[in-house]
Amino acid sequence: MALTRRQFLTLMGGSAGAAVFFQACGVPEKELLIDSPVEMPEDLVSGTDNWYATVCRQCDTSEGIVVRVMEGRAKKVEGNVDYPVNLGKHGPRCEAGLQSLYHPDRISAPLVRTGPRGSGEYREISWEDAITRLTSQLNELSDSGESDRAVLVTNPVGGHLALVIQSFTESTGMRRFVHEPLETSVLRKAISEVFGQESIPDFDIDNSDYLLSFGADFLSTWISPTRYSRGYGEFRQGHQRQRGRLVHVDSRFSVTAANADEWVRVKPGTEGILALSIIQVISSEGDVDNAVVDSLTGGDISWLNSYAPENVSAETGVTAETIRRISMEFSHSPHPLAIGGGSASAHSNGLAALKAVYSLNHIAGNIGAKGGILLNPDSPLKGISAAAPGNSFYEFQRLTEDMDAGRVKMLLVRGADPYYGLPEVAAFKSRSANIPLIVSFSGMMDDTTSMADLILPENNYLEDWGTDVPLAGVGYQTIGFQQPVVRPFFENRGVNLGTRNFADVLLTAAQVMGKDIGLSGDTYKEIIVNGAKQLYDLGGGSVIASSFEAFWNGILQRGGWWDTKVKGPVSVTPARLDGVPAPVISGNGEFFLQPFASASLLDGRSASLPWMQAMPDPISTATWQTWVEINHRVAEERGIKEGDVIEISSARGTITALAMPNPATPPDTVSVPFGQGHRDAGRYASGRGSNVLAILDAVHDEGTGSLAWSANKVSIRATGDWVRVPKFENTVSEFPRDEHNQIIELTTEIEDNH
Amino acid sequence: MAENGQENSKWGMVVDIDRCTGCNGCVVACQSENNIPINLEEHFNQRRAIQWIRVERYWEGEYPDVKARFIPIMCQHCGNAPCEPVCPVYATYHNNEGLNVQVYNRCIGTRFCANGCPYHVRFFNFWEPQWPDSLKNQLNPDVTVRSRGVMEKCSFCIQRIRRSTRESERDGVELEDGDRGLNPACVNSCPTSALTFGDFNNEDSQVSQMKSDAMSGEHGRGYRLMDNLGTDTNVIYLKKVDDSVGSVHGH
Repeated sequence: MALTRRQFLTLMGGSAGAAVFFQACGVPEKELLIDSPVEMPEDLVSGTDNWYATVCRQCDTSEGIVVRVMEGRAKKVEGNVDYPVNLGKHGPRCEAGLQSLYHPDRISAPLVRTGPRGSGEYREISWEDAITRLTSQLNELSDSGESDRAVLVTNPVGGHLALVIQSFTESTGMRRFVHEPLETSVLRKAISEVFGQESIPDFDIDNSDYLLSFGADFLSTWISPTRYSRGYGEFRQGHQRQRGRLVHVDSRFSVTAANADEWVRVKPGTEGILALSIIQVISSEGDVDNAVVDSLTGGDISWLNSYAPENVSAETGVTAETIRRISMEFSHSPHPLAIGGGSASAHSNGLAALKAVYSLNHIAGNIGAKGGILLNPDSPLKGISAAAPGNSFYEFQRLTEDMDAGRVKMLLVRGADPYYGLPEVAAFKSRSANIPLIVSFSGMMDDTTSMADLILPENNYLEDWGTDVPLAGVGYQTIGFQQPVVRPFFENRGVNLGTRNFADVLLTAAQVMGKDIGLSGDTYKEIIVNGAKQLYDLGGGSVIASSFEAFWNGILQRGGWWDTKVKGPVSVTPARLDGVPAPVISGNGEFFLQPFASASLLDGRSASLPWMQAMPDPISTATWQTWVEINHRVAEERGIKEGDVIEISSARGTITALAMPNPATPPDTVSVPFGQGHRDAGRYASGRGSNVLAILDAVHDEGTGSLAWSANKVSIRATGDWVRVPKFENTVSEFPRDEHNQIIELTTEIEDNH
Repeated sequence: MAENGQENSKWGMVVDIDRCTGCNGCVVACQSENNIPINLEEHFNQRRAIQWIRVERYWEGEYPDVKARFIPIMCQHCGNAPCEPVCPVYATYHNNEGLNVQVYNRCIGTRFCANGCPYHVRFFNFWEPQWPDSLKNQLNPDVTVRSRGVMEKCSFCIQRIRRSTRESERDGVELEDGDRGLNPACVNSCPTSALTFGDFNNEDSQVSQMKSDAMSGEHGRGYRLMDNLGTDTNVIYLKKVDDSVGSVHGH
């Protein structure tokens, strides 16, 4: 169509000359257009801000946050000072939640696949159409008696959402799996057997003076780093008492190891053996209640003596002298505390190891004591609890066998990315090829969603209702409440497009299918409000009000309900311990592969967020890529320098990573962060780096069947290629050293506490 | 907000290195609050990534006796700032509340100020900051979005200082020390409470008390970064406690 000059100028935004000028600078013309809303709702005053309390969903230990909203847009996330889990503090991943809300690659309407799986070809359909497709398929399966051939895979979910999902799956007969790439089931089972708790007890780090941690990177990524870091700050320099001492046992130099007063390097998988050795030393030489020792050993101490330091020194790589010294330090401290998890749990002996670690607290006699383990009470609402951990890797392998045998006809995925999160040895992706229908509820493309046939995008958590019983327990009854802080971003697409709350989609589907799933409410919000009514009827807690309306407002203002007077038990009988067997390690390679959760990307879930890609890793300051930490002397010997592209081969596969020699990696170990290597995760993460989860072998924790992700040996090979490692620190000095301690001055003196 | 009505505030920070874990929470909070451009991979590769507050990590020793220590560094708002006298257009100057102020629309981009800054806390916009349209919804309307050719740096979240002061005057409520609306984003985000912000001219403020404890006598842990340069910083650092070394004083 031929344009007149006038039309052309109009299309160019009124100034063809200006457009050409800006194009020349490489700036797209529309970058300079500033849109401001013309008509504003009455209660939104330009320039003033409102802060709304809600619960963060960036990781599984949902922290209470307040979100600054101006003119209907979320601007800033900060910690909710009242919320028990984090008491006003928050982590970097919480901040990045705003980028998940406003991500340019969010899916804005239900989609149905038009091209082959994985082609990325979809067309939009209405919600009515999408739910019809979903329910008709479910009905078809039900009619042919194959309801259990539908499988729903979700992330770990607690609170009222767990109730809705359970009611839905039970009434439709579908199977339910919970997926988390880095399983917490070993930790949860150990806690359950040692303390009788279903959620994780509170670790009173604030008031401890000797913290012995095994493998758990609690200052960076483990469970609730915000909560534990807050405690750690007081542990170090809080007034009232002596500065605490942190001894961290780990097979790699993690952030927690870097901050520890002493890093005890153990050979991978021997953390539990070391813990038992410490128990042995204290039992025979320290101050300990003999009844406790009897309980732990089953009355016969001889098996425990086989873990004496001299016997385990070679296996663990820790000298007998160090083991004895640490044991005595732990035993003589007024407020010792032992915690463990992370890589210590990711071995074939993981459960046995963590049971030994947590039993150190029985030895210390710190249950219910200040600076010790504070147990949680039951949830105030029946049936509403903290999220259960994921199904084990072993169970997922059985599922893929079912898939292979044609016993799965429908796969539904929400909040999880099993194609990414399961090692290739499980063959989850390849075996799902013959599943007729794959449905995803994700609001963003990810490895699984990009292969789905039907996508029903859910709201971002900042647009949603919900409740949460904290996974990282606080020692008293707490229920967090999540509320929308902004209207759904895609609301303007109309009622039949846009995104919806996941629970509401399930409730709608149930209604369409004519099923009464027996919940008190037709919408998710109603169910939550009814839950709040039950709390109101309890008559106690942090919100005192004379009417339910005022109570509800109070809950929303404060971000939840808690009752500091309802605490957990203060004692528990020590359960009998078993020995800790030697770890099973897969592979013949030269190096232990110690993967680690990235401080920014965690297990890969935050990879789509640019602030997280750009956040420097604390140890290496690297960003945007996958790197491999290798000891600098070993690297020098092999002619490997920073940026060399290294091929890392396990028994099951190969990935590449950029070499980053450093002075702290043990010479027999290489470390690679989890988190990159997504096939499709938005523009900031797609096709970037490597997924180290993919090459892990199927080693299982004997107690739970969990994936032992720390149990591989690999061989490495420099490919000859080189890529500059994007990192924040300068390369003027390769390993910046502050030799005269002029930047970070040191002292042994502790300030007089006032 | 200072002690008596006559004196202005003197804003400053105390950073406790013994509490800092290197988590980078402050870095992300600052980027969220201050409309910092997204640092893409090529920005890091050109060493032109912008972080108004950063965490530096220093190594000591090597395996198995190895340490890594973390220090957050932001604009020190020096009383004797090397960056101020050199600007040909007075785009940076010291205001009467102790802040080193950067005036974006006056800056012509000579970059002489960054040249002189010994703390490397000044960052230049070598590229036009760009965001996909949807991410622009997150931008803070209280903070200017800088364009290419302009120098920027930590302002102690001056927009928060201004807003809190204005609102407290409007409401007739005194602004308390430690008010979270006043604190810079980094201070509110730090999980270990390593960062404290306040008014050094108010002797009851937490920073004043921490500073006088820290800078007095033998037991104080306080020091200034590169104090020998005579910059008279408004940021006091508290030494890392390490009981495996002899007491080390920088100079």
